[in-house]
Amino acid sequence: MLVVMELGPAELVMRIAAGNDREAEGEFCRMMGPRIRLYGLRHLRDRQNADDLVQQVLLTALETLRDGGLREPDKLASFVLGTCRMTVLNQRRGVRRRQELLDRFGLEMLAPVPSPGPRLDHEKLANCVQSLKERERAVIVMSFYDQETAADVARFLSVSEANVRVIRHRAIHELRTCMGVA
Amino acid sequence: MSCTQPLSGATLTDYWLGILPQGDEERVEEHIFACETCSARLAEVQAMAEGLRALARAGSLMMVVSESFLKQAGGHGLHIRRYDPPQGGSVQCTVTAEDDLLVGGLAANLSAARRLDLSLCDPTGKEQFRLVDIPFDTESGNVLWQQSITFARGAPTSTMVARLIDVGESGEETLLGEYTFNHTRTLPGPAAW
Repeated sequence: MLVVMELGPAELVMRIAAGNDREAEGEFCRMMGPRIRLYGLRHLRDRQNADDLVQQVLLTALETLRDGGLREPDKLASFVLGTCRMTVLNQRRGVRRRQELLDRFGLEMLAPVPSPGPRLDHEKLANCVQSLKERERAVIVMSFYDQETAADVARFLSVSEANVRVIRHRAIHELRTCMGVA
Repeated sequence: MSCTQPLSGATLTDYWLGILPQGDEERVEEHIFACETCSARLAEVQAMAEGLRALARAGSLMMVVSESFLKQAGGHGLHIRRYDPPQGGSVQCTVTAEDDLLVGGLAANLSAARRLDLSLCDPTGKEQFRLVDIPFDTESGNVLWQQSITFARGAPTSTMVARLIDVGESGEETLLGEYTFNHTRTLPGPAAW
């Protein structure tokens, strides 16, 4: 049974530092896991690598929290973000100590972490995209599929980069409204 | 839990696309890690971004695309079936189960075009659908029109005429090019709509 606790960051930090509090550690993972995953998807653009990052960061953070290494408990979010940044940097440098930490903490702690995110109605999205104006649709597809620069999109549309940004924001707003997530 | 200073949808989208200045990006990340509401909204942006990528990969959108889009799609292993009928001419075409994207290359002199529409007509010339104010590069000399592959797979053997039309400020229309696609059905399905 899933136990949902409403603990503030500072209280979580203190309980984890007090030792042997699996509930608090689980709540920490549930709270931060999805945010770390989003960070990973944004910076690594790969699901597997993002999932790996979640494990690595949670393990590293838990190790520090258990040891009482976070001296300002209300800075938990910044601490986790900093750990994300360092982990991505270290991964890029080829530094890995994941297995050692996995051996120490075990995998079961990480089980509730993976988050599939919000469900999306793909058919509705297709209808919403098709209902956009031609230029809006082109900007959206080029931005999200090609991940082209504003300069490339501007050249294709024969408009300024500033206009591309305006068109993209308008299209996103219309999409979100159409999808009911505005 | 609510947020007293929620990040805008535009900011979250720009963050996801990686186009925020570095200082802004760092501030957004600090906020997201501390804010359940905005991290949930970022998750919606991420889901929409993945949905849009999947939609583009599926080839089911009817739209004008760029050469770079096709290049990237090819690089991702998608099979692109492309036809380039001559201006004023026709081409025999089909689509198979192995194809991912279906594209028509419409060559025309676009150097003086103002607003460009793509009109899709039946064999008698009656307009069935119009893509209004499509993006185009005046120097490229062609328009890459992606037909929905979902539509094409289900379409019976039929003829479609595509017309590139220059539209002036007062609405006057000038035909820049006409292209006939004679589609032969090769996948099982009904003989007519």
